[in-house]
Amino acid sequence: MDTFLQQVINGLTLGSFYALVALGYTMVYGIIRLINFAHGDLFMVGAFAGLSLLSSLGGLAGKMSPFVIIPLVFIVPMATVGLMGAVIERLAYRPLRRAPRLSPLITAIGVSLALEIAVELLTKAQYQLFPSVLPSTVWSIGNVVISAAQVLIVPVTLALMAALYLFVQRTMLGKAMRAIAIDQDTAQMMGINVDSLISLTFFVGGALAAAAGVMFGTYYGSINFDMGFLLGLKAFTAAVLGGIGNIPGAMLGGYLLGLLETFAAGYISGEWKDVFAFLILIGVLTLRPTGILGEHVVEKI
Amino acid sequence: MLSLPSRLPRPAWLTTPLSRFVVAAIVLAALVVVPFGLNNYYITLLTNISVYAMLGLGLNIVVGYAGLLDLGYAAFFAIGAYVAAYLMTTYNWSFWLMLPLGAALAAVFGIIIGAPTLRLRSDYLAIVTLGFGEITRISATNFSFTGGPNGIPSIPEPTLGNFTFQTPLQYYFLALALALVTLFCVARLGNSRIGRAWAYIREDELAAQAMGINTTRIKLLAYALGAVWAGLAGCFLAVQLTAIDPTSFTFNTSVQILIIVVLGGLGSIPGVILGAVVVIVTPELLRFLPPDQQPLRLLLFALALILLMIFRPEGLWPSRQRRREMHSYDVSLVGTAEAAAEAELVQEGAEP
Amino acid sequence: MKATIRHSLVAALGIVALTFAVAPVAAHATVPKAGTIKLGYFGPLTGSNAVEGIDMENAAKLAIDNWNKKGGVLGDQITLDAQDSPCVAAVAVQAAQKLVTDGVVGVVGPYCSSDAIPASVIYHRAGIPFITGASTNPKLTEQGFDDVFRTVGRDDEQGVFAASIMAGWHAKRIAIVHDNTTYAHGLATQTQVALAKHPGMKVVFFDAIVPGSRDFTAILTRIRSVKPDVTYFTGYVADGGLFVKQFVSLGVPGRIMAGDANNGAEFISLAGKASEKAFITGALLPQMVPSAAGFVKQFTAKYHLAPGPYSGYTYDAMNILLYAIQKTGSTNGATLVRFLKGLKNYPGVTGPITFTSTGDRKQIQYTLLTVRHGQFVRAM
Repeated sequence: MDTFLQQVINGLTLGSFYALVALGYTMVYGIIRLINFAHGDLFMVGAFAGLSLLSSLGGLAGKMSPFVIIPLVFIVPMATVGLMGAVIERLAYRPLRRAPRLSPLITAIGVSLALEIAVELLTKAQYQLFPSVLPSTVWSIGNVVISAAQVLIVPVTLALMAALYLFVQRTMLGKAMRAIAIDQDTAQMMGINVDSLISLTFFVGGALAAAAGVMFGTYYGSINFDMGFLLGLKAFTAAVLGGIGNIPGAMLGGYLLGLLETFAAGYISGEWKDVFAFLILIGVLTLRPTGILGEHVVEKI
Repeated sequence: MLSLPSRLPRPAWLTTPLSRFVVAAIVLAALVVVPFGLNNYYITLLTNISVYAMLGLGLNIVVGYAGLLDLGYAAFFAIGAYVAAYLMTTYNWSFWLMLPLGAALAAVFGIIIGAPTLRLRSDYLAIVTLGFGEITRISATNFSFTGGPNGIPSIPEPTLGNFTFQTPLQYYFLALALALVTLFCVARLGNSRIGRAWAYIREDELAAQAMGINTTRIKLLAYALGAVWAGLAGCFLAVQLTAIDPTSFTFNTSVQILIIVVLGGLGSIPGVILGAVVVIVTPELLRFLPPDQQPLRLLLFALALILLMIFRPEGLWPSRQRRREMHSYDVSLVGTAEAAAEAELVQEGAEP
Repeated sequence: MKATIRHSLVAALGIVALTFAVAPVAAHATVPKAGTIKLGYFGPLTGSNAVEGIDMENAAKLAIDNWNKKGGVLGDQITLDAQDSPCVAAVAVQAAQKLVTDGVVGVVGPYCSSDAIPASVIYHRAGIPFITGASTNPKLTEQGFDDVFRTVGRDDEQGVFAASIMAGWHAKRIAIVHDNTTYAHGLATQTQVALAKHPGMKVVFFDAIVPGSRDFTAILTRIRSVKPDVTYFTGYVADGGLFVKQFVSLGVPGRIMAGDANNGAEFISLAGKASEKAFITGALLPQMVPSAAGFVKQFTAKYHLAPGPYSGYTYDAMNILLYAIQKTGSTNGATLVRFLKGLKNYPGVTGPITFTSTGDRKQIQYTLLTVRHGQFVRAM
């Protein structure tokens, strides 16, 4: 029983990172049907932004109260990377909005490569240590170990996702975003400023990825230029699993994938866990071709 | 909207069948004669271009002709390579037997991978094909009959009677021959009834179904016939490297092949070949950089990719149909001289 | 008609001319300058293994610089031709061809065994001696090429050593974790094979992690439930450091041991306090070989980085090549190979080096290390 609970905690922690990054994928896909391969790298850049902030604050960081430093180490990278996401959209994706679907995909691959290499050059490919800004207390209930960091990660993730959900469902801007996702041309004709809202979508997606990056860095303690690729791929899988274009779907997909992977590694085999995860994904898609919570689009002729 | 003028007049040397034939003959002669004067580095480069051209042409069937986004194409490459490696090292079978076997097995795999994707919308099948690509790679890494992470080394050289393939030049000719066969077959497929059916389901699957096309069969054929060329390329890779392992068949490999196809021009055969040249040659161009600036090689490639896609989204050498499609949405062209010239060409019956 | 034929011929000639134009331009740049001797290095200078590749290249460069300061070799200055080989076999072949056509007289590197084996075929065909400082796959020296050598030990040797350590601890239940790369998998299986010779010792867990994934809690929780006496992690340092850290924080019972790829300063910084609970099998670090103290100081001073797990081996490999050239007075491949085959007790920074008849390193001395006060120390 202890092992089971421990694995649940492990899975939820991992799932939080997948979920946050999956949200960005799903939002961008929902609004312009683009699989933004560069998104996982925004997660990586966010982690490095957090690291730069902490390094530049230096000794000052130790003297600040945790109530100041923790929000700061989140907000600054979130804003910076969000902006970066919007700028990338403006420069690399907007010119291709009317192009065939695959061209912006290749551009996204190019952007992803460029981001990775830029950071690789800056860090000389070395792993960087990320200082821990969270208290390092660890609690043990029987054999189940849970750290303060883990206790914070899941609620923070859920809070961010709830905030996003409310934003998209309840605000005018959110409603406009959903309109663009349904029919871009009609939305434009209704007077919605499509360009600004798409930029906003990328901003929010980037900010969420940055938040995940900072949490990841502080939780695992090491970051490098390569870390966004694998996680981005997993997050994309999670988004599809939940139903791409669907915000609750991304949340569900993220946590589901985290738990799936953890249980596969924990009960079956570490070296086959990704195979199991993909097989389950394929199984789900065979039964529900648009993902678990995906909207079943009825094609009318 | 950023676009080059779509009204680049068709060069004279490509219009008539005779001139096209002459150009093709000269290029072919160059490809056969010139390598005798090149050093092994360049010969190996040309060999790798041939291999990736084959891969690009094969993926072109799936993505370019049939419009199915396959992100796991390296799996078929792996199948061909492992089949050849395993049978040649364990049972000492001849390389020439590996070619049809590798191709056939790759085709079967294509059907297996394609089957679950039939009902999926375009971008969902991307993740499924990605998943299959990863499943193939991880399986090759984990199973012991595939040699585990070490792969299969000591693959014997192909022999033809008393002659053994040994020098890079000899391998190059083998690769060239395979690539030319691929080129010929893929071109014929594109112009055949199947090719037209693929175009139909690419453009409008519902309409195609309504017209009585069995979309299931046609899609599975796309996967199978597309996979065949990767299988052949894999067989060649096995003997060229003499040792294969899972790291040659990663997601990055699949992405690289996709880049070749899209960069060159979806559905365009000369485009895909050009794409292969660009993707293989560009990182090699800057090998002379000092070691700590080596990542710049790939950075330049990445930037080139981004810029090329922004300024020429239809690819370097797009098929004429695609170029017309790309710019047909350009409303500003209506009534201009360019549109009139375009209409004239269509009436002349110029090749689509 | 005439016009089209003319146009076609012009265009075709253009294509042929372009091909010819590219060839000599690059060929020109690659022939070694008269009065210099060129040595080659290939390894990952880009991509996820770039850290190790750059580290090894730095070591090779350092060796060459030291020789050049003393006047080079055979009166000529030495240059290093370093080519990127990012662990993709087809690119490794390209890099190897480049080195050969550039006229190198000897090669060190690479990092991944998947590169080493296809490249060794090319070096063998060109008759160039090839010494690897990182590739541990036994198959590399079993191909029957007499010009392939290695300064690093083989997995079967380290496995035997690891098993004997565990036996010394009276461990009964062993957990082995690798990462499905050639090196780690090789070391893991060889350890398992060696353990089979110790009755009463059982491998209760044998599985792999995914390199780079950083989250090993799932697999560690499973290991915890199996209650091993020793857990042996055979993967690379970037994962090893985190693995050990998570091992300790999850409270997994028993000792934690890691393979020699974790012999780097990175391990200590990644694992933090947990590194003091870990043991590492490996050859003596240059820091512990008295004759090698200079190497560590020089390396750190020049590159502002501590030497990694394979820089010592690579430094030795390059030095041995240059030593062979000096002693034989020749850069001819066959001559060098003959000399290398007879090399006995060369004083390397990783200990005395003698090559066996297959090109492997004879009797590499393994030791057990641990960490105290942020430094590696001997544990036995």
